[in-house]
Amino acid sequence: MRAWPGQLWRTPRGWLARLPPARMLLKQALGLLLRLRLPGWLRRLGLRRIAAVVLLAGIVHICATLATPVLSSRHAFLLLRDKLSANRMVVLPPQAPGQQLLPWLPPHMLYAICRYDLSGGPVTVRATVADAGWALSLHATQGENFYVLPGQPLRRTEVSLVLVPKGPETPLIPRAESISDTPVVSPTREGLIVLRAPLHGLAWAAETEAMLQRATCTQARRAD
Amino acid sequence: MRLIRKLIFNLAVLVPAAVLLGLGTAWYMVQAGTRLSTRTIGPWVAWTGAGRPEAEPYTRAHIALNGVLPVSSTSEIAFRAKTDSDGGRLTSGCDYAVAMEDFEPQWWNLAVFDGSGALVANAAERYAFSSGSAMREPDGRTLIAVARDARPGNWLPSGRSNRIVLVLTIQDASWAAAIHNGGAPKVMPRIVRTGCR
Repeated sequence: MRAWPGQLWRTPRGWLARLPPARMLLKQALGLLLRLRLPGWLRRLGLRRIAAVVLLAGIVHICATLATPVLSSRHAFLLLRDKLSANRMVVLPPQAPGQQLLPWLPPHMLYAICRYDLSGGPVTVRATVADAGWALSLHATQGENFYVLPGQPLRRTEVSLVLVPKGPETPLIPRAESISDTPVVSPTREGLIVLRAPLHGLAWAAETEAMLQRATCTQARRAD
Repeated sequence: MRLIRKLIFNLAVLVPAAVLLGLGTAWYMVQAGTRLSTRTIGPWVAWTGAGRPEAEPYTRAHIALNGVLPVSSTSEIAFRAKTDSDGGRLTSGCDYAVAMEDFEPQWWNLAVFDGSGALVANAAERYAFSSGSAMREPDGRTLIAVARDARPGNWLPSGRSNRIVLVLTIQDASWAAAIHNGGAPKVMPRIVRTGCR
C-alpha cells in the first residue's frame, strides 16, 4: 500500500493497518456500552442522562482542581505572610508540637525564613549552605520552588543572589551589589526564601544557629 | 407537567449528583494522589512533581491545600508512608521497626507526624532522625524503632496520636531524578510491625 502523492498522512502499516477504521471502532464501543448490564435504577435514568452527569462531573472535577491553587487559603505563603515582616531574614526556634510553622515541615532542623517583596526593588540574599541536608530554596506564592541550592557533604557554599521581579522592567533593576551576585528572576512579586539547616546535636546547635543568623535578605539599591 | 417534573428531577438530583461526583473525584486525586501524580515504592508515596514550577494541576492543588513548602523534586524528594510494608495502617497503638539496608542517599530525615501533619507530642521531645543523627548497627544497617514507649537504639516516639504518618525526606539529586523520571525503584526502607498492644 503506497501513499498517494498528495496525501496528508501516510497509509497505516503493520498492526495499525490491521485495525478496523475509527468509525467501526466507535460503533463497536457504543454497542458494548449499550450491552452493559447496568443496575435497574441506572437503566431507568437513560444513557443520555448518565452521559450528561458524567460530563458535568468531569467539568466540575477539572474546574475544582484548577481553581484550588488560586482559591486556597492554606498556601504556605498565606500561612506565613502575617507572621513575617517583609525583606527580613528571621531564624525560627526549633519546631515543637503546637508551635509548628507549617504542617509536614521536617523537624530536627533549624529554619531561617524571609518573606520577600519585590515591589520596592530587587532583594539581595546572602547565605551559607554548609553541608548535606542544608538547603536554600526560593518559593513563589503558590509554593513553586523556582530556585534551590542543596547542600553538599563537607562543602561550604557561600551564596549571593539578587532576586528580581519577572517582567519588562527586569533588565533595568539590578545593579548588582557585587559581581558575584547571581540574578534570579522571581515569577511573583512576593514569595519566601527558606534556609534550612539540620540539627546534628546540641554540640553543633549554637554554630548552626550562628550561621543561619548571618544569612541576610535585604532590599537592594535601585539602579540610578 | 411531565417536562417540568423531568426538569425538577434533573436539577434537584442529577446536577447535585454530578457536582458531588466531580468534587469527590477531584478531592481524592488531590489528597490521595494517583499514578498520574505520585510514585509508590512499597508503603512509600512521593508526589513526583512537588515544588516544580511546571507541576501538573493535581500536584499544585495538593501543595495548595496542605500548606507544604516542598523543595523541587529534582534535588530532594519526600515520601510519606501511611501503612507498613504489609499494608497495615500505621497507628501509635503498634510498634514498628524501620529497617534501612543498602539505603545510602546523600542525606535523609525520617519524621513522625499525625494524620494532619502535626508533630506528635512526646516526653523525649524527639520528632525525627536523620542520616547525621541515627546510630548504625555493626553490620551497617540503620534500624529505627517507632514506638510509644522507650526502646534501645534509635527510638522515634509515636506518642498517643491514633494514626501516624512517617515522612522520609531524601536529599540526593540522583535519587530524586530516578524517582522523578520513573527510573528503576531505589531500595527503600522497610516498615515492619513488631507488635501491638
